[in-house]
Amino acid sequence: MENLLKELQYAKLEHQTRRHFLQSCGFGLGALGLGSLMGSCSASSTEPNASDKSVQSGIPQFAPKAKRVIYIHMAGAPSQLELFDYKPELLKYHGKDCPAEFLEGKKFAFIQGVPKMLGPQGAFKQHGQSGAWISDYLPHLQKVADEISFFKAVHTDQFNHAPAQLLMHTGSPRLGRPSLGAWTVYGLGSENQNLPGFMVLASGGRQPDAGKSVYGSGFLPSVYQGVQCRTGGDPVLYVSDPSGMNRNMRKTTIEAINQINQQTYEDVKDPEILTRISQYEMAFRMQMSVPEVMDVSKEPQFILDMYGVKPGDGTFAMNCLLARKLVENDVRFVQLFDWGWDGHGTSEQDNVEGGLRKKCEATDKPIAALIQDLKMRGLLEDTLVIWGAEFGRTPMQENRNGLVMPYMGRDHHLEAFTMWMAGGGVKKGVTHGETDELGYYGVKGRVHVHDIQATILHLMGFDHEKFTYPFQGRNFRLTDTEGKVVKEVLA
Amino acid sequence: MMKKRTFIGLGVVVIFWSSFSWSGLFEHKVDYNAEVKPILNKHCMGCHGGVKKAGDVSFLFEHEMLEPGKSGKIPVVRGDAHASEMIRRILTDDPDEKMPKNGNPLSKDEIDILTKWIDQGASWETHWSYKRIEKPEVPSLRTFSNLFGLLDQDVRNWPKNEIDHFTLKKLREKDLSPSPEADKATLLRRVSLDLTGLPPTEKEVSDFTHDNSANAYEKVVDRLLKSSSFGERWTSMWLDLARYADTKGYEKDSGRRIWRYRDYVVRSFNADKPFDVFTIEQLAGDLLPKKNGMPSDENLIATGFHRNTMNNDEGGTSDEEFRVAAQIDRVNTTWEVWQGTTFACIQCHSHPYDPISHDEYYKYMAYFNNTRDEDVPNDSPTLRFYKGNDSLKVQRLIDWVAKRDPQQTENFTQFMRVMEPRINSHDFQIIGGATLLDGKYLGLKHKTSGRLPGANLTGMTQMVVSLGASIDKSVLTIRKDTSDKKNFIARIAVPNTQGKDTVMIIPIPHAGGKQDLFFSLESSKTPDDWVRIKWLSFQKEIPGKTEPEYPAVVAEFSRLLTKSAEDIPVLWEGKGDFSRKTHVFVRGNWMVKGAEVKPDVPKLLYAMPKDYARDRLGLAKWIVNRENALTGRVIVNRFWEQLFGRGIVETVEDFGSQGSEPSHRELLDWLAVEFMEKDQWRVKKLLKRIVMSATYRQSSKTDDDKLEKDPYNVWISRGPRVRLSAEQVRDQALAASGLLSKKMYGPGVMPAQPDKIWQSPYSGEKWVLSEGEDQYRRGLYTYWKRTSPYPSMVTFDAPSREFCQSRRILTNTPLQALVTLNDPVYLQAAEQLAANMQKRGHTPQQQLTEGYRMLTYKSIEPKNLTVLMKVYQEALNAYKTKPAQVDSILPYGKERSPELAALTVSANVMLNLDNVITKE
Repeated sequence: MENLLKELQYAKLEHQTRRHFLQSCGFGLGALGLGSLMGSCSASSTEPNASDKSVQSGIPQFAPKAKRVIYIHMAGAPSQLELFDYKPELLKYHGKDCPAEFLEGKKFAFIQGVPKMLGPQGAFKQHGQSGAWISDYLPHLQKVADEISFFKAVHTDQFNHAPAQLLMHTGSPRLGRPSLGAWTVYGLGSENQNLPGFMVLASGGRQPDAGKSVYGSGFLPSVYQGVQCRTGGDPVLYVSDPSGMNRNMRKTTIEAINQINQQTYEDVKDPEILTRISQYEMAFRMQMSVPEVMDVSKEPQFILDMYGVKPGDGTFAMNCLLARKLVENDVRFVQLFDWGWDGHGTSEQDNVEGGLRKKCEATDKPIAALIQDLKMRGLLEDTLVIWGAEFGRTPMQENRNGLVMPYMGRDHHLEAFTMWMAGGGVKKGVTHGETDELGYYGVKGRVHVHDIQATILHLMGFDHEKFTYPFQGRNFRLTDTEGKVVKEVLA
Repeated sequence: MMKKRTFIGLGVVVIFWSSFSWSGLFEHKVDYNAEVKPILNKHCMGCHGGVKKAGDVSFLFEHEMLEPGKSGKIPVVRGDAHASEMIRRILTDDPDEKMPKNGNPLSKDEIDILTKWIDQGASWETHWSYKRIEKPEVPSLRTFSNLFGLLDQDVRNWPKNEIDHFTLKKLREKDLSPSPEADKATLLRRVSLDLTGLPPTEKEVSDFTHDNSANAYEKVVDRLLKSSSFGERWTSMWLDLARYADTKGYEKDSGRRIWRYRDYVVRSFNADKPFDVFTIEQLAGDLLPKKNGMPSDENLIATGFHRNTMNNDEGGTSDEEFRVAAQIDRVNTTWEVWQGTTFACIQCHSHPYDPISHDEYYKYMAYFNNTRDEDVPNDSPTLRFYKGNDSLKVQRLIDWVAKRDPQQTENFTQFMRVMEPRINSHDFQIIGGATLLDGKYLGLKHKTSGRLPGANLTGMTQMVVSLGASIDKSVLTIRKDTSDKKNFIARIAVPNTQGKDTVMIIPIPHAGGKQDLFFSLESSKTPDDWVRIKWLSFQKEIPGKTEPEYPAVVAEFSRLLTKSAEDIPVLWEGKGDFSRKTHVFVRGNWMVKGAEVKPDVPKLLYAMPKDYARDRLGLAKWIVNRENALTGRVIVNRFWEQLFGRGIVETVEDFGSQGSEPSHRELLDWLAVEFMEKDQWRVKKLLKRIVMSATYRQSSKTDDDKLEKDPYNVWISRGPRVRLSAEQVRDQALAASGLLSKKMYGPGVMPAQPDKIWQSPYSGEKWVLSEGEDQYRRGLYTYWKRTSPYPSMVTFDAPSREFCQSRRILTNTPLQALVTLNDPVYLQAAEQLAANMQKRGHTPQQQLTEGYRMLTYKSIEPKNLTVLMKVYQEALNAYKTKPAQVDSILPYGKERSPELAALTVSANVMLNLDNVITKE
């Protein structure tokens, strides 16, 4: 089967490249989408042919509601109890010893002995027609409440950042599995001929804890890995021509490389050379299109204001604007990471009071702007926006090493946390799931990380149980052996 | 060119004849492995295999299919398909009973095969790769010329050694002809890249092309095998398998000094250490015979192989969880590297397709489970290297002990070198207000205590403890059983070490037996702070207590242990109290322990010989025993894959029933037997045999006929044509431009890398550009950070080395083009190459021709020279009009001229050519 796939992909590629050469159209008119270059399993912008159909049957698929994804991950894990999961009872218990039932047989990253309960720090109100609870930490999000569906009782198995992030993005806490974005591009291909199908933007000064593996391709071919756009230097590594070489000269050099490579092909007939020729063309186009799409100087002022960005500031807000530009250019999967949400209460930054408010101030407005902007452009209908983190935070106040923390802080919490989705195929204004009165356990509509993944894949048109890849003698899938689609939120 | 003649017609006749025979003349005997097993794997094993046994029916083991299921009916009744429940359930129309339950129904052919197989007695056969490797007959040219008609003269003369007899036989069967030998320059470049990872020098090419002696090629091969670059090239392959990296992985991913292991691999390949010895050293070097109380440094460094497992230093993580994760990785890696079998799935359940049961995983893990490493942040145990005077002082201490109590010498020497056995402080029970600082180390403060259960004090009279305190005048008291005063063992005035870990030697009274010990702290100062205990060890005191030098000896002992030394993580077996019991993990969950198991190997392969110890050393010997059906095949296949770009078994990591069928099974077995028996596991002999073959030496040019019949060159009717590996792309550019450093060994180096690549949360480690020639070392020596490997290497498909990776799946992406076009490493190479070109010729035509020759060893075709001239001219005009650009494009050397700039641009083109980044 694997061979058959390769063979068909190759046949298609050679066909297209030959046709391309017959047209001898030089640069910029390449008939190849990245999806086909990447050998994705379904046809993208190129017209379907016999080989496409037979390949497509390998992946069970139905009409996707979401054609593109923007996944916003708040690395470090913000507190759901300050933002969305309103627990007035918790306030009554504030400062009291944590009930034994919450501690027996549990493991926490830092909490030791018997911690105290910590009441919510935000002021909550219901918003929109849907009456969604959103605290005063997020005044802008309040305004788009009716676009969003909340999952209030997500739970995970991992209480450390790196493994929990890996579980969230690859379905396994250990390294080596493909990420959600890689699966998506593998399955759907890319619709853009000039940009990678899976792009990653990180802010907050640091990479996600689990490193590149959270957007890696695992055992899928490396072409499916996320390409990170950097905030400083080249947006994509080595995308800029060296100084002293202008565009014309680069064009001349790539033409020369391809002409000589074509000669070599005529001589030795190795089909891999044809792929190389088209990849050099793609590289040339990326050199233009990546800086172009990353350049916001042509955005009108009101858009910049809406997101709250200044050109070149490399902030999360900028990344939200770039995410909109990328999906507008048909990039399939845009992954945003923002670092610095780990509110243990250990420092002025890392807490659930002032520190969390600051992080919210920097992110609330652009997220709301992103939703509005996508809606305004008619993109929200088929673009899925996901917001979440690797876990949540405890209703107890952290007492690391048995000491009182200098700031209000919470430890990592596995049992219940909030995520939300908006756009492509998701109901508007639904709240799914509920936690107990102290916000410790999910009591209704509990969903596991794998359920979230199954739901996302469903929205993209995949049956998560049948969307597999053979590796080391086994068929692997994103949701491992678990996962149920959360039907309640499907539009 | 060789001619095809009329073989096509003959082929058709043969096929017709053979299908005729199948259908009638002789009753065709169904082949279980080739015909039945694939059907079972495809349709049945998902529910009736190692993962599930739906209805108590399974086809995993022979006995299972013959036993009645839940319904009482027997799935397979030998000799009687109609009585077999399996066939009935496949044929029935009742939707409740029809099999497969939720899958596609079997085709008529598939049903026929199963029916026939059962009627013929349902013979069960072991999968080919699990059967002993027997040496096959080398096909004689006469045999198959009889079959296929006369071979033409060219083909008859084609074979150079036995390998070619095997491949030619297959080519004939597939109606293909071999290709002629590649031209000398191409062949030399290929064999140089394959054996040493580096392109040949121009002189080597010229020597070879002018050497008309019959053994000219063999001389070249011998020279390459002797070159010190040989070891470097093969180490690159081995390090992917060993998951070697310079960092520990996981979230913190901080540095680890394990480069001595990498150097050990280079030296071993260069010395042509027999592969069985190489294997035993890496898996069990610490258990090999000792000299002066210690295994050799080389043997211990070799065990770094399995210390390349990741270590999780993040606060709050359970050391035991990640110790277990490392053990599991060792089991999986050992199986993948030497046995070519995916073992990982057996962690949770029996193998879904191959007959290996769940508990056999843990029996195998029991061999590994006794090592002393416990996921502590200092990576202990490590082999310490004392430098200069300190090494003399260590020797003096050892001599002191040896002279006074020879029996103690071995333990004492071992403790000086590896600081084992010792108790890591995560073993303390946290009671009485103590804590585990960062989740890793025992922390005690005023009026708190921790409990160490079951410390064996028999014969122990001294405690060696690593303490760190930043407070004055604290006192650590150790008591037995309770906090009762009577059970007092020791009281230690803890010095203020400014927080630094300090090893203290504390005499303790004879207590005897296993004791629960209470450690409690009192300190006078407030605010109180934690005193940290990292580890401790109960030992026999150093002899010579009454002698006047004794206090100085003890002080020296403590000083040497406290002082940081260069070291490398090693395997070290725990004995007695330090050995562990191994349990089955129920459904793979390390927290849910099932039955205890003893070390053993899966029944699928030959039994562990009685005279082998039940430890890692026994296991290592079992792996490289001639009777092991997998090792020889798997290893030979790995080397073959490296040369041809494709293994004889394409899935080099999976020889099981789900892996690919070997393209040349007899050749694989023949090579494996020659390697084990004749070559005595010497890799150089194996490689020489392969590269001397006509099969290897073929031209890689192809044509439509070959592409149509064999698009992936499975039958090797042409030479390999494969893109260079990540390391080779870089090394070649540096070598061709003259920048490459020949320096070998030592810590990983940091060549130029863009800013902001390394962003490790928490660790302050930085990429600091190496100085001088260290920027231009072979890719092998580049510092390998798991969460952020060197970007251009990753782009060219190098793995992160978090886990063992058998194959690099080659990709062909635009990001690769961007690297070789724009990465400063390649621009500097282009500039240097251009400077060299300039010296070689007066006209641009001459210079470009020379440049092309320096990279490909060939004359450039006039057409292509025209293309390059066009680039050169355009660039020259541009630089002449804008001289300021000249300085920008030539940032490295001293000379700045429009001509050199234009040549640099041309060299940039040449370094990107397909035939340059491809091994042809």
